[in-house]
Amino acid sequence: MSPSQFDLLQGTLDVLILKALALQELHGMGISRRISQMTGGAFDVKAGSLFPALHRMEEAGWLRSTWGESETNRRAKFYSLTRAGKKQLQSETERWEQISLVMAAALGSS
Amino acid sequence: MISRLRALRRTLFHGDQLDNDLNEELHAYVELVSAEKVRGGMSPEEAYRDTRREMGGAEQIKQRVRDIRSRALLDRLVQDVRYALRQMQKSPGFAVTAILTLALGIGANTAIFTLVHAILLKNLPVSDPKALVRVGDHEDCCILNEAASSREGSYSIFPYETYKYFRENTTEFEQLAAVQAGGADLSARQAVGNAVSHSSRGEFVSGNYFQTFGVRPFAGRSLMATDDADGAAPVAMLSYQAWQRDYAGDPSVIGGSFLMNTHPVTIIGVTPQEFYGDRLSEAPPDFYLPISQEPILGFYSARNKTNLGWLFLVGRVKPGVAIGSLQEKMSGLLRQSLGELKDFQTAQGRELLARAHVVLTPGGQGVAHMQHRAQSSLYLLMGLAGMVLLIACANIANLTLVRGIARRVETSVRMALGAGKARIVRQMLTESVVLASLGGVAGLLVAYGGTKLLLGLMFTQATVMPVDAAPSLPVIGFAFAVSLLTGLIFGVAPAWISSKEQPANAMRGANRSTRDQSSLLQRSLVILQAALSVVLLIGAGLLGKSLNKLQHQNLGLEAENRVIVDMNPLKAGYKPERLDGLYQQIEDTFHAMPGVEHVGLTLYTPLNGDTWSFYAYVQGQGVPDPGHDANTLFNRASPEYFKAVGQQVLRGRTFTPADTATSQGVAVVNQAFVKKFFKRNEDPLGKHFGVIDIKNSGDFEIVGVVEDTKYQSARDQPDAMVFTPMLQSAHLSPSKDLDSSLYAGQVVLHMKSLRPGLEEQVRKTLASIDPNLSVDHYQTFEKQIEGNFSGERMIARLTLLFGILALVLAAVGLYGVTAYGVQRRTQEIGIRMALGSSRGSVVGMVLRGAMLQTAVGLVIGVPVALVCVRSIKPVQAQLYEVVGRDAGVIAAAVCTLAFAASIAGIIPARRAASIDPAKALRTE
Repeated sequence: MSPSQFDLLQGTLDVLILKALALQELHGMGISRRISQMTGGAFDVKAGSLFPALHRMEEAGWLRSTWGESETNRRAKFYSLTRAGKKQLQSETERWEQISLVMAAALGSS
Repeated sequence: MISRLRALRRTLFHGDQLDNDLNEELHAYVELVSAEKVRGGMSPEEAYRDTRREMGGAEQIKQRVRDIRSRALLDRLVQDVRYALRQMQKSPGFAVTAILTLALGIGANTAIFTLVHAILLKNLPVSDPKALVRVGDHEDCCILNEAASSREGSYSIFPYETYKYFRENTTEFEQLAAVQAGGADLSARQAVGNAVSHSSRGEFVSGNYFQTFGVRPFAGRSLMATDDADGAAPVAMLSYQAWQRDYAGDPSVIGGSFLMNTHPVTIIGVTPQEFYGDRLSEAPPDFYLPISQEPILGFYSARNKTNLGWLFLVGRVKPGVAIGSLQEKMSGLLRQSLGELKDFQTAQGRELLARAHVVLTPGGQGVAHMQHRAQSSLYLLMGLAGMVLLIACANIANLTLVRGIARRVETSVRMALGAGKARIVRQMLTESVVLASLGGVAGLLVAYGGTKLLLGLMFTQATVMPVDAAPSLPVIGFAFAVSLLTGLIFGVAPAWISSKEQPANAMRGANRSTRDQSSLLQRSLVILQAALSVVLLIGAGLLGKSLNKLQHQNLGLEAENRVIVDMNPLKAGYKPERLDGLYQQIEDTFHAMPGVEHVGLTLYTPLNGDTWSFYAYVQGQGVPDPGHDANTLFNRASPEYFKAVGQQVLRGRTFTPADTATSQGVAVVNQAFVKKFFKRNEDPLGKHFGVIDIKNSGDFEIVGVVEDTKYQSARDQPDAMVFTPMLQSAHLSPSKDLDSSLYAGQVVLHMKSLRPGLEEQVRKTLASIDPNLSVDHYQTFEKQIEGNFSGERMIARLTLLFGILALVLAAVGLYGVTAYGVQRRTQEIGIRMALGSSRGSVVGMVLRGAMLQTAVGLVIGVPVALVCVRSIKPVQAQLYEVVGRDAGVIAAAVCTLAFAASIAGIIPARRAASIDPAKALRTE
């Protein structure tokens, strides 16, 4: 199965975006590339799902955005985590850890 | 909240901005991805195409983002409102209390705003009212001698000649109209069959009246300039209201023939329904008649007298006319026109003439008499209602605080779970605004009822209610704005307090704490309520006392068992030579009625709203100095008149049947006249005087002095006044003209007792003398006098109502805070009692707290009230012989508040004393 054919589980994209922004603020393409890099190329987030997700998360209060300059000296919108975003990342990380443990145990046992 | 509002504004009003941002964001993305591909070896064009293909439809992305943005916004609003409604459902008692309180507060304000809007802010329902200009700045009515009619040189009421002079010598007006300052008494009936006659109100207007206002007729045609020409056929416009009321909307009335005061007049048209004339009034004109008809239908031949001011002027200026220079020009024209009169050719007259000028004022409201009269009362009421609303706000803020504290744990849990402060504050404010909006809706209902009540109190004599009680769009807008503001005011404090909440504190069991900031805030709110309500109570006390003094003052008359009958022999077609017989017949016929003690005839009785005033010239004193006030009220009296109204004779005699039209002229004067025109030791009896002209100064010999009686106004000291017999000429008009002062306007009947059915009997009696002589108005003397206080009574009653409302709200607030305090201190009180505190000392402790807040409120409120009474003009204007620092009123207000506070305090105090220590210590 080709990695890019992963069906994104509900909420996966959100947590990946949160994680991608955990260290530094990034613009849209930066986030896309960072997710790709974090997942070893398994996820290639397309603009069609990335931008709606970014705006939704900004509305939810997890992200904030500012206009800045990209590495090519172009005006671009940079996203970063808010406090609520950091909390959300933390609780999501815990949840995913639990899910993966439970799922691994469930599927691993016979 | 703020950022939220900003987001809302962005989506609602700056959708473009959002789109631009999104465009740029996507462009940046495409460029960045393409640049990456170029670095990977593609050609720029290829890279760009590739990226666009990968990305899919940019429009679709944008649409999805837009959907997300707007849905999120709406979701949150709906979510917040739902949450707020859910919270209200959880505590319906709180919600109902709050909504009712708000409904009363907002309702009171909206009701008064309805009046402010309808009376003070609205223009006449005519085309382009802003272009209308009134020539003059006051409304002194109705027929004034030109030399005496200015206020510090400012003229507002003009003779017909001056009006014509203005119109002929100005080009700045599109139209300049003249309207009669007073009204014309008409007896009107259709000239067909045996139609009944109606006692109607007419107004003489210039021919261009309807053109000036830009008003088209509802039916038929309007008056035109040609109708106002000399010798034109007599015509009139009928008002829509009178058409419906008196003639059942009968279309045959239009074009039909009428008899008005026995003269034939043709009705040419009906005014539009919404038009009520050139001024807001309780009794708008039924008929609009051209000025050219005044010498025939009216009683004064005012049109032909160059020295008699009786017209108000309203004009429509051409676009771009500078009002300032027009005013200068017209002042000059006025001086030229008045300079022709011989009144202004004496030394005194020349001095007056030099100061004569006109002031042009905005004419959109027409003749703004009611506006000027009601203004200060309405602003006063507006202020009072505002204070009640403020108290209501404080009350609800308090209730919300108490609830907020009860919800501390809930709030803390939500914050611990990651809800942002902003979100909590926003939620609290949403709750407040939702609550206030519900209160606002209920308030509109209260306002509708309240406005009807107010109108009934304000316009007791209205034939057509000048103001509609139904809320108009601006009124609904006002109610909505007030609700929103109210919600924010009472919501801010609780929201602020809960946002400062430290989650850890609440979770640790804050229910045990004895002290926190909110209780300080609560107490301040209670103090504010106490202070405001004592201000209102003192106000209510002062106004009530003032009204009482007005009503129970010595007016110089006896009103008990007297009735006043209005009639008009002129309308019935009597010639002066028949009056003597008529008056004797009236006296004899009424005396024959059982129970009649005295029958008096006069031009006008005390405080009936009418007066005649002239310059008096005392024989041997020469012409008074320029600027010297030589005015006197003028009236006529039959032999029994003074007994009939109960005016005491102090010296000399009153009139007898021997004082006839041809006998030596005699007069009775009041004390104020003696004081004004004679030196201290001079004996007025036997002295002679006349009115209007020095050459008349031999007309009347003073034969008696009567006490000062208030005729003009119940507030002011009585002015100098003279009485002459009914039929002795005072040379008021040239001998060829009709002297309308010979015609009695009112009959006073002094009865042994007022029995039911008297009115019917009086009407029959008058009709038996002459069927054409109708009773125009019948009321008791007491009612007539009461009518002078209707404004004061309304203000006093409303202030009392507001004061009681404020008192109840403040008491409820105090009760709430004290009860809540007791509940929170249950354990502390339990411990105190376990340690030996008596129940009495517990009651004392709780009550002391409550009374202390009240006392602080009083300490603040009383001086504020004193300052308000002293410095606010509308309050000053209301008070009659009462000063602000009226110890009795202040003491009563303080006691009332203290009493209410002690009741509000004693209930929770007794509950505190009934705490069982054992139980109290066991509860958490």
